[in-house]
Amino acid sequence: MADRIEKKNGGSQALPLFRLRPPSPSFSHLVEPSSQWHTAAAEMSVWNYVVTAHKPTSVSHSCIGNFTSPNQLNLIIAKCTRIEIHLLTPQGLQPMLDVPIYGRIATIELFQPHNETQDFLFIATERYKFCVLQWDAEKSELLTRAMGDVSDRIGRPTDNGQIGIIDPDCRLIGLHLYDGLFKVIPFDNKGQLKEAFNIRLEELQVLDIKFLHGCVKPTIVVLYQDNKDARHVKTYEVALKDKDFVEGPWSQNNLDNGAGLLIPVPAPLGGVIIIGEETIVYCNANATFKAIPIKQSIIRAYGRVDPDGSRYLLGDNTGTLHLLVLTHERERVTGLKVEYLGETSIASSISYLDNGVVYVGSRFGDSQLIKLNLQADASGSFVELLERYVNLGPIVDFCVVDLDRQGQGQVVTCSGAFKDGSLRVVRNGIGINEQASVELQGIKGLWSLKSSFNDPYDMYLVVSFISETRFLAMNMEDELEETEIEGFDAQTQTLFCQNAINDLLIQVTANSVRLVSCTSRELVDRWNAPAGFSVNVASANASQVLLATGGGHLVYLEIKEAKLVEVKHAQLEHEISCLDLNPIGENPHFSSLAAVGMWTDISVRIFSLPDLELIRKENLGGEIVPRSVLLCTLEGVMYLLCALGDGNLFSFLLNACTGELTDRKKVSLGTQPISLRTFSSKGTTHVFASSDRPTVIYSSNKKLLYSNVNLKEVNHMCRFNTAAFPDSLAIAKESELSIGTIDDIQKLHIRTIPLNEQARRICHQEQSKTLAFCSFKYNQTSMEESETHFIRLLDHQTFEFLSTYPLDQYECGCSIISCSFSDDNNVYYCVGTAYVLPEENEPTKGRILVFAVEDGRLQLIVEKETKGAVYSLNAFNGKLLAAINQKIQLYKWMLREDGSHELQSECGHHGHILALYTQTRGDFIVVGDLMKSISLLVYKVAFNSLLDTLQQFYFLFQSLHWANYHCFSFGQHEESAIEERARDYNANWMTAVEMLDDEIYIGAENSYNLLTVRKNSDAATDDERARLEVVGEYHLGEFVNKFRHGSLVMRLPDSEMGQIPTVIFGTINGVIGIIASLPHDQYVFLEKLQSSLVKFIKGVGNLSHEQWRSFHNDKKTVEARNFLDGDLIESFLDLSRSKMEEVAKVVGVSVEELSRRVEELTRLH
Amino acid sequence: MHADWMWLEEVKGRERGELRTRRFEAAARARRAASLELSNRKEFATPHHGAVNSLQVDLTEGRYLLSGASDGSAAVFDVRSATEYEAGFIAKHGNILLVDKQHENGHKFAISAAVWYPVDTGLFVTASFDHFVKVWDTNSTQVVMDFKMPGKVYSAAMSPIATTHMLIATGSADVQVRLCDVASGAFTHTLSGHRDGIMSLEWSASSEWILMSGGCDGAIRFWDIRRAGCFRVLDQSRSQLGRRPPLLQNTNDKDHMDSLGPSPSTRSYSAQKRTSNSKKKSPDLRKSQNLTHGQMQQRLHPGLSSSQNRATAHYGAVTGLRTTTDGMYLLSSGSDSRLRLWDIDSGCNTLVNFEAMRLQTGKPLQLAVTEDPSLVFVPCMASIKAYNLWTGTTSQTFRGHYELVNCCYYSAQDQECRNFILAAMIGKFLCGLHQLQLLLKWKTMTSGTGFLQLMRITGVTKNSCTSVY
Repeated sequence: MADRIEKKNGGSQALPLFRLRPPSPSFSHLVEPSSQWHTAAAEMSVWNYVVTAHKPTSVSHSCIGNFTSPNQLNLIIAKCTRIEIHLLTPQGLQPMLDVPIYGRIATIELFQPHNETQDFLFIATERYKFCVLQWDAEKSELLTRAMGDVSDRIGRPTDNGQIGIIDPDCRLIGLHLYDGLFKVIPFDNKGQLKEAFNIRLEELQVLDIKFLHGCVKPTIVVLYQDNKDARHVKTYEVALKDKDFVEGPWSQNNLDNGAGLLIPVPAPLGGVIIIGEETIVYCNANATFKAIPIKQSIIRAYGRVDPDGSRYLLGDNTGTLHLLVLTHERERVTGLKVEYLGETSIASSISYLDNGVVYVGSRFGDSQLIKLNLQADASGSFVELLERYVNLGPIVDFCVVDLDRQGQGQVVTCSGAFKDGSLRVVRNGIGINEQASVELQGIKGLWSLKSSFNDPYDMYLVVSFISETRFLAMNMEDELEETEIEGFDAQTQTLFCQNAINDLLIQVTANSVRLVSCTSRELVDRWNAPAGFSVNVASANASQVLLATGGGHLVYLEIKEAKLVEVKHAQLEHEISCLDLNPIGENPHFSSLAAVGMWTDISVRIFSLPDLELIRKENLGGEIVPRSVLLCTLEGVMYLLCALGDGNLFSFLLNACTGELTDRKKVSLGTQPISLRTFSSKGTTHVFASSDRPTVIYSSNKKLLYSNVNLKEVNHMCRFNTAAFPDSLAIAKESELSIGTIDDIQKLHIRTIPLNEQARRICHQEQSKTLAFCSFKYNQTSMEESETHFIRLLDHQTFEFLSTYPLDQYECGCSIISCSFSDDNNVYYCVGTAYVLPEENEPTKGRILVFAVEDGRLQLIVEKETKGAVYSLNAFNGKLLAAINQKIQLYKWMLREDGSHELQSECGHHGHILALYTQTRGDFIVVGDLMKSISLLVYKVAFNSLLDTLQQFYFLFQSLHWANYHCFSFGQHEESAIEERARDYNANWMTAVEMLDDEIYIGAENSYNLLTVRKNSDAATDDERARLEVVGEYHLGEFVNKFRHGSLVMRLPDSEMGQIPTVIFGTINGVIGIIASLPHDQYVFLEKLQSSLVKFIKGVGNLSHEQWRSFHNDKKTVEARNFLDGDLIESFLDLSRSKMEEVAKVVGVSVEELSRRVEELTRLH
Repeated sequence: MHADWMWLEEVKGRERGELRTRRFEAAARARRAASLELSNRKEFATPHHGAVNSLQVDLTEGRYLLSGASDGSAAVFDVRSATEYEAGFIAKHGNILLVDKQHENGHKFAISAAVWYPVDTGLFVTASFDHFVKVWDTNSTQVVMDFKMPGKVYSAAMSPIATTHMLIATGSADVQVRLCDVASGAFTHTLSGHRDGIMSLEWSASSEWILMSGGCDGAIRFWDIRRAGCFRVLDQSRSQLGRRPPLLQNTNDKDHMDSLGPSPSTRSYSAQKRTSNSKKKSPDLRKSQNLTHGQMQQRLHPGLSSSQNRATAHYGAVTGLRTTTDGMYLLSSGSDSRLRLWDIDSGCNTLVNFEAMRLQTGKPLQLAVTEDPSLVFVPCMASIKAYNLWTGTTSQTFRGHYELVNCCYYSAQDQECRNFILAAMIGKFLCGLHQLQLLLKWKTMTSGTGFLQLMRITGVTKNSCTSVY
């Protein structure tokens, strides 16, 4: 109120200025001029970098055909904005290609044009682009045969989903994109596409269209709904010459009211199967009409089993798989039969591969590879699960949990829907699961030894300290116990230990190299350092030892017939800092190369063995000494890794014959010296880099990837594979030695907690070490379908179910937060609910429930009834802010006479259509409305009236003896209000909002766009101040359900990236993405890089990146601004060296610098 | 369609990807359109001293409402921000701009149409009974250009999608449609064909070259302004039934046609042809036609066959025209108190039987259509009726005006005023509603003609659907 009066007194309202563009006819509707930057320094969050941390996993389409070769069978899977091509092999599905598409895939279809031996792939995107792709076997990439735009000025985009179909005889492609129009792209005789045209379709509510098989003229069958909601099918012949339809051979009126899917039956049977909710019908031109009743279900996915079309797999919305059999006598269909096969994930696509193996793609749960058995198992199911493909989609909500308080979040998502609902714990990096640990101070080195050379398991653990070495061994009880190896020197620090051929053990200490027999544990041979010299660094493999003594002496020993033989000696000009002779060639016990790192000239050198000839010297530059070198082979590629004392790591490709080093790359792994060690997990070799930020270096797709480990600081590490702790690692930390197993080596680690019901909202409470979520379960009794809603409590570490609070009948959990209130030290879970009564179309009743966690139980403390659905809750300055239907309502926490609490409404704000999403910061509230974009509200206390109010009320209170209560506070009597400060006047339908900082807010809207708006605090006029200025626009192509501040990776405060604020988002397709707010100079640099990359990296099907990322909805299409496509920028690293050079040239920096900067960015996720 | 639409459930369906976003939007819009109600918290203070004849909210921001009234005045209102608040919560919107007879360049007689320049709010156009069409600069409120017409101007229209021309189509008591070019200040076209004055004009929503006009002679004519003459006259008796011959008959026809000559297209105008300006198709259009196909004769332009040229869309005058936003359908209202829905592509009467209504006869009416399009709003005497576009059933009747309603405007851009303080009311969001209410508050007046109503037997179209050709 005060604000309004102020405004009036503040002067007459400025008249808005009407905009006049020059009346020239050559204006453009589409491109708006980009706005100018105002104050660059203050705003960090304007320039955003969007990158995918977890790719989409929800499967919308799949198809099968001979795509890559005439005799190879391929499964092609569409995952919203990506296409995956798999090859069917006797071993299973083998991935061949996974590429992004610059568009949301509306339809994919395989077809074989005339005169072609293999299939082409037709893809249409939701923004009316299409392309035809062919496999280029030579280059193993996709070749664009045709592409185009099929958008129209006329017509209204169809609500029921776009349809794209190809005539079985390859005469035309049919598209239904707009209500009332059927677009035809004809093929000419050579299989080329001709110009498209539209045919008017009178049926407005089209549900499905398919081509009929075996027709002389291309014929479509249309399933549609009329004005009275009845459903019919109708056929039309496409007269290509006349560009019109001709009434088709037959039609069928008044089908099942739930009919929604057509299955065309191949020739010679022909005709179509119409899948309804209660019946399945077969119709064809010869007036054959066969129907079969089914148990009520919604079937949306089918897969054809036989080429002749006599059997089909049907998947329904409960995840049941059925077999539909078309019984026929010769070419006459005699009947239909449906058989139950078993349970799968809720299918969105079904592809029958071969030999009873079926791919079931799902949008609501994990996709599956199943085998159909001839015999049912004990539970009556014919389905055997072969493989699961993790799908996070739909991510309806998630929370970021930082268990270790290290700044690295793990994301717990509410994934899946219906029976496939689950919680997923997504963590970046690799987890070490500690199995055992002992406290040990000052470990200087760690090695494992086997009891004999060919023993698969490790036996001893050699732990080196500053002035002694201790030996641990596994005893009979599988305990680690101290032991002795007589031949070894235990009184001094060990520099290196290794099993050697002939069942020997090598120990290198400062003054000697010892050879000990495995069996007798006695000294067999010994090499002493020359007098006056001591060994500084050493390395060995099964048959070779290389060591450096002071003064740049390099000594090479070989083990020959259980003797140490000094083969070669070299004198280098500088001191040696590190060396390695890990065998990387054919012979696993002998290396022909040695790598040596040098002091002073900061170089790494490659020597050939056994002659110890310098064959390569690579200067590293800088002043930091290399501290660890490693020769390794990952995925068959040989690398030289060299780690510096400042946490940087160089990687080189190594030519084993010539010792040549190429493809030099530098990454920063941490800030402390790194020591490198190889280990193997599940039969694959990886590299462990111990430092203040331990990292696993592994190779995927012949590319080195770096994944951090969930440990704080590791000094030393070695493989320790014992029978009791298989595939384990021994890890030396500052004051601890631990043994642990390692997770699967992949970038993101996902753990599934199946719920069998759908979780909708989740939040974490650190104090009680719990997670709470709202979930619901469908109960399908014979006739009625109902939902039961719960609030469930989980342990945040073990994910064990602790407690469940069932909600009332018809009550539905809508929001949950963890918060505390002013004048109360406890932490509570607050849950907002709504009563979904069947006769209402907007909830008129809801509740706010306040729970405390006591002994692992949810204890209801307070409940407060609301006049609508509580769509969103926020902690707000020690109070509770709720979005209830159209209203924003603030509640304060009041102590009652009896010591209990209550929620008392303080003030509110009306004026929203539906306030679905709210976020708060200080006194500011950002509201994401159903359809009215983003608005900014502010909480105000009218202080000037406060004193008066107090005085007036003082006596009143005394007489009412209210003042005795300590609830008497300013807050209770002050005149507070929530008022609108500004809004975005565009009509955006919001799906999520978040405040990036005080000034900039981000929102996601219904047409898959992102936008940022800025509060215009210093604008000149009221009119402008009341407007949230749109500063960034971007088409993400994903439906965002939630933004949360946080990070999936460990943030090093002193690294460049550590300062960059990030927001995580989750989408329906299972994408987890990161939005990073970059400093302006970096943004400008990357923008330049992006624009040059667009020229070098062509989109699949020649789809334009610029168009794809342009903000697009029904109202407008404008170029993306102030957002960068991180996926595109990071694909720079996949380019060939020559292309990288070209890009670098355009950008104007060196390839190394560019790679470094891009690699830095990949650390954001 | 969505009788059991429940916000909460639909939001839940959307967030897990079950409900398509487009469908979510459509259903939400439809529901909100269906729950339109008179707003009692928003008022427009009218400066007009006569009936309001025309209303339009600007197309760029959806913020400024332009009105033209029979006292010769035009005014602009800010729909978003109220000028003052009555009793703290009733938002009062006063005019922020007014041009009336006192203005040096003001119109002398009633303004029949007032339209925004579609590209921005810097210009607007008024058409008046004083024979003038004037183009105004909004910021200076000065006339920048005027066009003298031969008679009372009934209507003016600008194409909302034009990118290559800036033409104002004007219809007057004269039989010709005139196109005034804002860029040059001259008449560029005169389109002849109507036999009486032109009450209503509408540009196509899909092609910037196509203009549709409705005359007092009962005819609706389609013009391609790049070509001479009108290319189509809508015929109320020609319906879609039987437009596509059944298969068997067609195959016979085919043989028949094949013997007649090469490539006789059975279509008149496909959307493709209309939007593309390929020249090779134009000779095809003039090709002599197979007489068994009635609609083909419509291609004989200029100078369609005389019988076609005489076809009527309504008995009596065509008083209002409105295309759907998808550009596929045209709605027309006539002084015969009928509303007709036409398929623009084929020019066929869709035979949607709109429930009985009483329309004003003597003056142009401004119809409105929702974006979907699911509802059409028709000023019916002192009320506004919303009809379901596909079934013709009345979905709602808006009462509240004390006198006859001349025009209505539906703004789908739900630009909300800032200080909207109410909760219980539904449907408070749409400017469409504000307009309805606007009309109420303004107490629209008639020009005084009687309420003569031409009653027609329902189903007249049914009887006449058999082709006469």
